[in-house]
Amino acid sequence: MNTLVMMRKVMARPFDFYEDIQMPGAIRWSHPLLIVALAYVVRMVVLYASGFAFQTREPYEISALQEFIWLVVPFATWCVAHWAVSAILDGEGKFKEIVYGSAFALVPYTVFMIPVTLLTQLIALDEAGTVTALTYAIYAWVGWLLLLKVQILHNFNLAKTLFIVALSVIGMLIIWFVGVLLYGLANQFINFFLDIVKELRMRA
Amino acid sequence: MTKRYKTRFMITAALVLSLLMPTGAQASSLPYDSYMYTVDSEVRSIAGYVYKQSIDGIGLPSGAFNRPESIHIADDGSIYIADAGNNRIVQLDAGHNFVRTYGDDDGPGKLSEPKGLYVKEDGTVYVADTKNGRIVVFTEEGEFVRDYPKPQSPLIGSTFSYSPSKLILDKRDYMYVVSDGNTQGLLQIDPNGDFKGFYGANHVGFSWSRLFVKLVATEEQRRKMTAIRPAEFSNLDMDQEGFMYTTTIGEESNQLKRLSPVGVDTLNFGVERQYGDFYSIGPFTMASFIGVSVSEDGIITALDLQTSKVFQYDKLGNFLFSFGGVGEQNGLFATPSDLDQNKDGDIYVVDRGRNRVDIFRTTPFADLVHEASILYVDGRYEEAEALWQEVLRTNANYEMAYVAIGKALYKAERYKEAMDYFKLARARHDYSVAFKEYRKEVVRENFTVIALGLVALFILLRWGLPKLIRTVRRRAKLGAKSGLQLRKGETQ
Repeated sequence: MNTLVMMRKVMARPFDFYEDIQMPGAIRWSHPLLIVALAYVVRMVVLYASGFAFQTREPYEISALQEFIWLVVPFATWCVAHWAVSAILDGEGKFKEIVYGSAFALVPYTVFMIPVTLLTQLIALDEAGTVTALTYAIYAWVGWLLLLKVQILHNFNLAKTLFIVALSVIGMLIIWFVGVLLYGLANQFINFFLDIVKELRMRA
Repeated sequence: MTKRYKTRFMITAALVLSLLMPTGAQASSLPYDSYMYTVDSEVRSIAGYVYKQSIDGIGLPSGAFNRPESIHIADDGSIYIADAGNNRIVQLDAGHNFVRTYGDDDGPGKLSEPKGLYVKEDGTVYVADTKNGRIVVFTEEGEFVRDYPKPQSPLIGSTFSYSPSKLILDKRDYMYVVSDGNTQGLLQIDPNGDFKGFYGANHVGFSWSRLFVKLVATEEQRRKMTAIRPAEFSNLDMDQEGFMYTTTIGEESNQLKRLSPVGVDTLNFGVERQYGDFYSIGPFTMASFIGVSVSEDGIITALDLQTSKVFQYDKLGNFLFSFGGVGEQNGLFATPSDLDQNKDGDIYVVDRGRNRVDIFRTTPFADLVHEASILYVDGRYEEAEALWQEVLRTNANYEMAYVAIGKALYKAERYKEAMDYFKLARARHDYSVAFKEYRKEVVRENFTVIALGLVALFILLRWGLPKLIRTVRRRAKLGAKSGLQLRKGETQ
């Protein structure tokens, strides 16, 4: 099955999609990577191609690297944190299913965001309600797919799904915090040794 | 040969001249930077005002000034300086010659550190006699007429500390008085000395943090907290139409206000605008406006104590020019305290720290911008357009000019060009308005093409696309089958 077929499936029959990916051998690692890359490309297109009146940032304020980090890091930490939390709390999903399912939750964004962006080229600011509504609808769709993924993959009920999602978000924040902390400590550690080397060279 | 000799001579002459006049070149360079604010950054601009001269009283019969606090320039050009350190008002004529002093004779009219004054059209002088806590009236000749002590009213209360520092009179001769430290607004006093109410008080805005503290703190803790008071007014001026221009200290935005006769701010109607320089460091460097003067054309000039700079805005509150700063050179200030302008557009800034009044004149660029801006503010965009083009020829960084030209083009129904100008100024809202008209135009002109295109697109999506998908699928199936057969054939 190629990626396009799966993309169509996740939008047309999301329940079946999330049941099907639990079949053995249904998952290819190339698919989620492709979807995330596609989401990144779409994000850049949205930033550069929206109509002048709708641009919230000047072109020089857009950093391709920063956008990449802001997409990949939350996605990766979500997968890890969610996998960790659900594994502890009796979730049935495997890590690769979580990555696959989460990536495919981004499909509505990748497909519909570009038409909406092109629409901003054609409408004025006082008609912005249309664009805002469409954008929110796309985000809501993505959010709903994520929730559905959690529910079907792990076989949870709705209350537990929401609880796990909240815990996963907290887990993400903890991972970020630890990451920043480790970065700071490692920085100090390296500086400490560099200073020792400097001191030794001065005295020698 | 002769030509070459000529050029060589010219170069030598220029060199010699430049060597001879280094001081002249130095004097003409300004001690302060000139800049404009665009949507998100500060860009270089051409100076609007340059230092002209100073008055310090030395050499005049009045003697040197001492801690001058305020200045008022009457319609006939007479200059009145509140010379607080010498407890008097000094009057000079338009040519800066001494005329007389007020309030330094012993008697009922003896002033004590007057911080502000106002002169009526007939020459009657009203002085805010700050230390004595009263307002004193003198005739044009300097004779004491009467005084207004602290007004009595239940609204004011007995604990109210009255120290009038600035005042102005409206057409009914009602006095509007700034009292230092008073947060309830301007005091309105009628010609009989009766208190008529507070005018145009500032408001305390809503704050999430304050709400949170209110919810969490105990009764006892709350009592210990300092009460939140609205910000106080520091200075005021009035235009011909009776609108009051005020400066407020202790606020980050909307520090300049134009109050209508009923006390509603009409300058920042529905917007939060930050006047002065844009700081991001916090309340320690917040602009603190202490002086304001409005010209006949509605151009607002205000003095910021924090940076010792003067900022000028058009009638709509768009930033035009800034000059001044802290320093010892001419054109910078030690501790400025007030400003006013005369009919020629010269701005007089009182420097309390250096005991003198500095005079700044407009540059030709400022004259051009003023002229263009006045037309623009009146909505006469077409007339202003040529002037704004001239402004841009002189200074292509002047962002306001792009907006103004864009509006002129919009009015002339040249929407595409207007869009280009709005885009340059990054005026997104104006751009969008012009775009809407432009879109209408394009659709009207190419109606058949667009309508046919839409029909074609619909047909394509409704029947073409599904058919295409079906064909592709059939092909793929066939291919898979034949591939299978091929492979079978190979094995056989």
